[in-house]
This record gives sequence, structure tokens and C-alpha cells, in this order.
Amino acid sequence: MSAVATGRRAKPEITGPMMGMILFVASEAMFFAAFFAGYFTIKANEPVWPPPGVPHLKIDIATVLTVILVTSSVCVQIAVRSIRAGATRRATVWLGITIGLGIAFLALQAYDYSQLGFGVKDGVFGSLFYVMTGIHMAHVVGGVVLLALVFGQLVRGRLTREHHDPLAAGAIYWDFVDVVWLCLFTVFYLLTPR
Amino acid sequence: MTITRSPAADVAPVPERGRLLSWLTTTDHKRIGILYLINSFSFFVIAGVFALLMRTELARPGTQIFAPHAYEELFTLHGTLMIFLVIFPLLAGFGNYFVPLQIGALDMAFPRINALSFWLLPVGGLTILSGFLVPGGAAACGWTCYAPLSEQLGTGGDLWIVGLILVGTASILGGINFIVTILRMRAPGMTVMRMPVFTWSILATSLLVTLAAPVLTAGLIMVFADRQLGTVFFDPSRGGVAILWQHVFWFFGHPEVYMLILGAWGIVTEIVAVFSGKPIFSYPGVVLSFLLITALSFSVWAHHMFATGAVELPFFSITTELISIPTGVLFFIWLGTMWRGKLRFEPPMLFALGFIAMFLIGGIDGVWAASPAMDFAIHDTYWVVAHLHYVLFGGTLFGVMAAMFYWFPKMTGRFLSRRLGIWQFWLQLAGFNLTFFPMHILGLRGMPRRIADYPPDLGWSFLNLVASIGAFVIATAMLLFFINIFLTLRKPRTAPDDPWGGNTLEWATTSPPPAHNFDALPPIRSDRPVFDLRTQGSGGDR
Amino acid sequence: MLAFALTGCAKEGISPTGQDVHQLYNVIMVLALPVFIGVEGALIWCVVRYRKRDDSVPSQTVGGNRALAVFFAIPAVIVAALFPFGEATLMKIEQEPTPLVKINVEGFQWEWTFLYLNEGIFVSGKTASDTAPQQPAQMYLPVDEAVQVTLTSRDVIHSFFVPDLLFKRDAIPGRTTTFTFTPTQLGTFHAQCAEFCGLWHPRMTFDVHVVSPPDYQAWILQERKAAASVTCQPNGSTLAVVAHNISWQDPQGNGVYCLAVPENTPFTVSITNEDAGIEHNFSIYDSFFQQQTFFKAPKITGPASETEQIQGLPPGRYYFQCDVHGPAMSGAFIVGNPGEGHGPGQGPGEGQG
Repeated sequence: MSAVATGRRAKPEITGPMMGMILFVASEAMFFAAFFAGYFTIKANEPVWPPPGVPHLKIDIATVLTVILVTSSVCVQIAVRSIRAGATRRATVWLGITIGLGIAFLALQAYDYSQLGFGVKDGVFGSLFYVMTGIHMAHVVGGVVLLALVFGQLVRGRLTREHHDPLAAGAIYWDFVDVVWLCLFTVFYLLTPR
Repeated sequence: MTITRSPAADVAPVPERGRLLSWLTTTDHKRIGILYLINSFSFFVIAGVFALLMRTELARPGTQIFAPHAYEELFTLHGTLMIFLVIFPLLAGFGNYFVPLQIGALDMAFPRINALSFWLLPVGGLTILSGFLVPGGAAACGWTCYAPLSEQLGTGGDLWIVGLILVGTASILGGINFIVTILRMRAPGMTVMRMPVFTWSILATSLLVTLAAPVLTAGLIMVFADRQLGTVFFDPSRGGVAILWQHVFWFFGHPEVYMLILGAWGIVTEIVAVFSGKPIFSYPGVVLSFLLITALSFSVWAHHMFATGAVELPFFSITTELISIPTGVLFFIWLGTMWRGKLRFEPPMLFALGFIAMFLIGGIDGVWAASPAMDFAIHDTYWVVAHLHYVLFGGTLFGVMAAMFYWFPKMTGRFLSRRLGIWQFWLQLAGFNLTFFPMHILGLRGMPRRIADYPPDLGWSFLNLVASIGAFVIATAMLLFFINIFLTLRKPRTAPDDPWGGNTLEWATTSPPPAHNFDALPPIRSDRPVFDLRTQGSGGDR
Repeated sequence: MLAFALTGCAKEGISPTGQDVHQLYNVIMVLALPVFIGVEGALIWCVVRYRKRDDSVPSQTVGGNRALAVFFAIPAVIVAALFPFGEATLMKIEQEPTPLVKINVEGFQWEWTFLYLNEGIFVSGKTASDTAPQQPAQMYLPVDEAVQVTLTSRDVIHSFFVPDLLFKRDAIPGRTTTFTFTPTQLGTFHAQCAEFCGLWHPRMTFDVHVVSPPDYQAWILQERKAAASVTCQPNGSTLAVVAHNISWQDPQGNGVYCLAVPENTPFTVSITNEDAGIEHNFSIYDSFFQQQTFFKAPKITGPASETEQIQGLPPGRYYFQCDVHGPAMSGAFIVGNPGEGHGPGQGPGEGQG
């Protein structure tokens, strides 16, 4: 027990704000998991999937979206590594790229929505697709806002090699949003017959 | 035995002008804790009045006061408010006030988010209540609001959904706050196995709320989308699955009920130890039980759905029966704590003993429902109403009253009247049993839940009358409670640091504590640092 | 508290499985009562024996791992005893002996309907309105015969609850569920919906009458005669029906249970669907058993209307219904003068069991 007590004295690897973000991400994971549970429940109840009348999803734009988001996750991690190495300017650049890619994702997804040929009111598939990807999109918006605020702090010199919790926490959130997209992509595009 | 105190320990008086504003903008965990209590007791009065109205209607067969829709709004809001705006926030309020003190910390990890978590509560609660003002009235579907019925509700339904999303978000933020506080901000020497069991109970509760409450939020979004955006998650005529709501809701709902009791278990365990003059009989046993129950609570949800014929009955029956094992262990620990002790029957201990006696009944009567074949007979009857009130009222509310009498001197520097407390205890115990024990029998006689009226020829009338009389006895007890608070707050502050002979760190500072909580902390070498200090012995290193 | 054991007995049960559940109740009581008496007794004993009488500090005993193991073992043993017994009872309930009587039960806001498949009888209750009291649906069953119920809901979740059977099953829209029971006791037993389903949930009751086999046969004949006695006169060859609240009405809002047209004369039917979002249609068959189809209009979703031309039919007694809702929306379709000759059909309720 005393070893743990001593361990408290050294600077912990996971700071309070980082732990808070990890827990928040855990709660968000449960939030999305509920929707995925709904998806599989509804799908199991249907003889044919996708249900008749729904145009099949085309994978081309979705693939580009995936590439954009995965790249942005790599970029944000480079930003975190940069600031840990003391390279603040490099971190700023890579964070800026991340934000740009995030905005590109949003724009391209909005375009994709307009091309799909079915809407949220078109039965269970429409319900699931638009609500799940829509909520994800809202989380991307939140992530872009969060990273923009961090960018502001970075630019004003408020983050350093020793104290850069907002960037590290923001990166965790951003990576999580990417993982959710990968699950959506897998379920809606890879696992669904096209 | 005194703690060295600097002159700055006295609370600086706050100017009258800024007083209200200071409460509205506070981020001090102690004040936020008190705000939680005030908010909860206010909604308690509202939801309690709803209960009295319902019991008045049900006292005799036939419609006396309420047309069915009004009655249905009452039972919906009674359940929703009691669970989300009263019981859970009462425990969270005590947690807010006492967890940082018990671990020797200055405040919560995220004080401003803490304030936000609180203020979302009255906003959410008032949103739900505002349903009474809109056409169609408040939500009328039961606190569980099953689909597809939920899709037929008027605007009151949307207000219920939005209010709950606000309250749920608040509780998730609070849960994260508690976990980080407990894991990151303990004073030197306070290992996790030296934390007070109340702190453990809040940690367990917070794990549950962080992981389970988001599932409710997801379900609420689904039903809102079905109602307003044209989706069909729960509409079977277009591919939706009606019982999907029940799966999502109860996956949250069952952990929720543990969120509503764990804090009380923590409180009662500590109070029994203090007022027996003995250590907790098995501190590791308590921690282990809390953790096992927390984990198992995610595996039992479909025991609420046995009667659908759509779930795997043996699996959920086993997990439900398994969870009764660690729960039973707690009883043995409480008894063992009292064994060969020197019991003092101050009001905190009376209410704690009442908790044990009543929660035992609530736990046992749940066992009947855990067996699917038996559940087919008693599901959705007044047996379940009896069970849930024995655990939430006989259990948690008695625990809350124990906490109020125990911690009131610490929070305000004044003792609640012992005499009024004893009167309240006996009236509350009698009224509670008078109201809810007959409901077991009503359930066995086939009286279903959520009915505004019942026929006179089924043998339900007399017991309903008894239950209704009991409800007014409870109301009298509660009136005594509020009178007690009102009278006590006008008395001068006389409480010492440690009026009860406590064990945990909150008793190592003034009553009430200064803004910065502690001037000096005693050495922490066991789970009873104040006991150790008081007896000047080590108490054993643990 | 001992009063609980004495007065709180579950219902005896009017079927073998009901009696098994009653027995399970007793078994659980036998396991629970000692726990209750033991713990409450220990509590009272502690309160009396260990009251603080002096200021000495009590011995600071704690329990070790062995005590903890015992604490876990005791409830574990009880659970280990309880689970298999509960499972055994459940398996008895889930048995499905070959049924003599098969009933499709449908719950909807706020009534029950019973469709006796073999006997060709349709029973419905009537929800109270401003002008008429509640008429709960009546389910007659022959004693000592297995009854199979296939249960569903038309709208929200309801629950088929017969307290004297110590049984309930939820009626879920989009899902059918089947169960079998054998009533072995004569009598009339109260039953009602046990899942909150909206405004008139408290009134959604029904009665189960368990009668001797001759009485059951007599009831069947009575129901069939009542259905067959529904009759009406042709009045021109233009019919107008309105689907409203999942029942047929005339344009003036009166319930329609019988339609008539002259024999061998083409006729028109105008069908108005006032139920928003709900599909209806209009079909004519020989009888409830639908062995011959004479006409089937396409389904329309309300609000909508259509007019159909139908060829002339030989005289006789036919049967009309909405295919979506079945006998709940049906009636006698008379061609020519009733009583004169027998057409190919025999109307609802007169088929062979």
C-alpha cells in the first residue's frame, strides 16, 4: 500500500484532465454502442438487409471520408508528439492540418448526404443511417471546435512541453471520433451487401 | 483532542448583498453539495404530494378526484422526479460535500463542471414539470415510458425527453468528476484501501453512471427522433422493433437502481461502525461487494423483460440471483460490526437500523421476481411497487435521513433536534410499512400497476385504504423533518468538530469546515484516521 | 412479519402450471423466511444486547477472510437451491401439449379480441364511450382441455394477465408469442392488461369463464347463432363504408356489421379510410374461413378513399372484412333476400370447427 502512496508523489503520467477525457470518451463509447446495439437488433428482425426500397450505399465517397479521418488522426498525434518534443511551431502546423481535414470531412459528408437518394424518413435503414452518422457528424463538429480552441491556446503560446493537457486530451477525443467512424464504415459499408 | 488551527480557520462572513449571487455562482463543493440537497428536497415535496394525491384517489374504488389522464401524469412524474431529481441527486449531494473532505482534498477535480452539473438539474426538472402547462399535459407513460406508447404522447413527452437528457448529461459529468477526484486527489497516505466506504460507494456509483447513463441518452434520442424526425426505431409497422426500447432502457435502468442504493450502503456502513464504537467488520468485504455488484449490474437488465417472452430466461435469472450474494454479504458485515459493540441510538443510528430492517425486506422480495416462472405472476403488479419502495424508500431514503442527522452538524454547525428525529423515525417506519407492506398482497391478488381505478369486487379495496392511510402517516413524518430543519437553522452554531466520535476525515475539521476544508490533516495510516488520532493509537496499519 | 407468510399467500392457481407457480412461491418463502427471521432477529438481538451501558471502548474485532468466505457462502447456497427449482417450474410452464382450443388473442387500445380458430368464432369487447359502459371481452374455455393462445398487439405493448393462472405474457406489436395452459377449475376469473398502454389501461379487462364441455359447446353454438342472426336488407346497389378507429362505420358514424346488395346485380363500394397512417382494405369471402375469395380491394393507407366496382353475386350469405385487421373489422355480407336459398358462403361463425 505504501508503494502506491509513494507513487502518488511523482508526477503521474495521466493527469486529471487527461483522465477526465478518457472517462468522457468511455461514456461516449457506451453512447454509440447503444446505437450499434439498436442497429443489430433491428437488422436481426428484418428478413432482407438492406430492406427493399433502399438504394444501396456506394462506397467511393465513404472511402475518401475514411482516408481523410484516419489521416487526420495521424496528424493530431504528430502534433502531440511535436509538442512533447518541444517543437511548438511544428505542433501548430500539424494541428492546423488536422482541423482542415476535419472540416473537409464535414463538407464531403454533407455532399454525400445530398447524393444518397434516401432520407431519414425512409424506413429503418434511413433511421439508423442518418441518426448514427448524423450524431457522429455532430461529434466531428464538436471535435473541430475543441481542436480550434486548442489551436488558439497553442498559437498564444499557452501550451508547453510540460503542460499540454488540452492538446493531448483533444487528440484522444479526435482519435475516438475516428474510431467511431471506422465502426460506422465497417457496419454500413463493408458488412452491408451493396 | 484538537487539531492545530490557524486564525484564518474561521469562515469569513459574506456580505448580505452578494449572498444570493455567491450561492448562484459558487464552485465550492460544499456549497454545491448543499444546493443539491435543497434542490432534491424541493422536488421531494413535489413528487411526494403527487404520491399523496394518487393514494387519495386509490383509497376507494371508483374515480374520486382524477380522471385517468391526470392520474397517469402523476405516476409518471412521481417516478421520474423521485428517481432523477430526488434520490440520485441526494446521494450525489452528500458525495459532493463529503468525498473531498473524506479524502483530504481541497475541492473536486473540476469545480466549474461541478457547478454546471448541479444547475442542469433544476433546469431539467422544471422542463419535465412544465409538461403540466402544455396542451395534452405532462408525460403520461410511467417513468419507464415504453415504446411505442411513448410515440403517442403530446408535447409533455418531448419535454420529458429533453429534461431527462439534461439531467443525464449532468450526472455523467458529475460521475467523471467524482472518479477523477477520487483517483487523483487523495491526501498522502490515503491509499484506495484506506478510503472511507462512503467514498468507495460514490466511486462505484460514478463508474455506473459514466457507463450506463449514456445508454439512456441514446435511447431518449431514438424516441425523440421517432416522435419528431420521422424515424422508425420502435415502430414495428415499418421495420422498427418495439422491445428495442426496453433493452436500451433497462441496460441503463438496472445499473441505475444500484446508483440509487450504493451511496446509502456507504452511509449506513459508516454510521453503524461509528455508533457501535467498532471498526467495519470487513472493510475489504464491503469494497469487494460494491465492486462485484457494480460489475454484475450490467448483466441483469432483461429480468425486467421476462414477461415479454423474448429474452433468454435462464441467463438473466442466474445473473439476477448471483447479484443477491454480495448484497447478502453486506448484511452480515453490518451485523458483525454491531456484534460486541456499544450501540448508541442517536437518530443517525436509528435510521441506519431502519434501513437495514427495511432494505432486507426489499432485497428478499426481489428474489421472488428473479425466478421467471414466479415473475410471470407478479411482474407489473403491486408486488413490484412494494419491492421498489422497500429498496428505494425503506432503503435509500432511510439512509438519506441517517445521513442528514449524521452530517447536519458538520454542514451547518447545528444539531437537528433529537426528539423530533426520534418521532420522525417511528412515524416514518410505521407509515412506510403501513403503506407498502400490503402492496405485496395486492400484487399477489392480481392488482396491476399504473391503474387509476379498480373494481370494488376483487378484494383490493381494504388494503388500498390501509396503504392510503399509511401515506398520510409518512407525510406527517416528513413534515416533522422539515420543521426540524427549519427550527434548527435558527439555532446558534454549537457543534464541535467531532460530535459523534467519527472515524473519517470530515470529522477532523470544524463544523462547518472552512472554505479550504482543512487547516491540517491528521496522519493517515488506516481507514479510520480520526479514530486513530482520538485514541492516539495506530489502530493497526491497513 | 409472520403475517406475511400466513396472509400473503399467492393464489392457488386454476391450472397445473398455476399450481406449480404457487408451489414455487412457497419454496421461495421457505428459503426467504429463515433469512428474514435470522437477520431481523440478529438485528433486534444486537440492539438489545449491545446497547451502550458504559464508557469502555469495545473490543475492536474485525472479521478475517474466513468470515468473509462464510458470508459469501451462505447466500450462495440459498441461490444454488433456488435456481434449479425455479428452472424446473419454468420448464413446466413452457411445455406445449397439443391444444384442443386455439385462440388468437389481440390486444389494442383498449380492448381484447379472441379469435377461436377451430370454432370459427370471434369475440370482442367494447371500450366504454361517453354513451355506453365498458363491455369486457369474455373468454369461454372448456375445463381440463389445453388451450393455446397466440398473442399479439395491434398498437402498443399490452399484457395478457390472468391472476388466477399466475401467468402473464406481454402482447407486443410486430411480434407474436404463443403459450399453452390447461384450466382445471370451473369458474369465472377476472383478467386485465398489465402493461400500461395509455388512457383506458385501467379498463382493459376481460373475463375468463371455465365451463364444462357441454356448456362450452352451447356457448359456441350461441355465438355462431348470434353471428348468423346478423342480417340486413339490400338498399340499392351502392354501398359506402368508412374505416374509422379500426372498425367499419357508415358515413353517418354508425357501426356497420352487415351489408346487403340485390342478387346478381353489379354494385359499387366506396371505401373511405379515416385512420391516418393505417392500412385498410375491403374483401368479400364465402365465410370467416375464407375458402373462396369473391373480391379483394387494394390496401390503402389513410386518409384515403377508393371506389370499387364489383360483379353481381348469386344470392346467399357471405362475409366481408378488412384483411389487415381480420375479424375485428368484419361483418355479414348478404346478397339477395336473406333466408332465401343458400349461397356458396355461410357468413362468419357458421363454418365447421
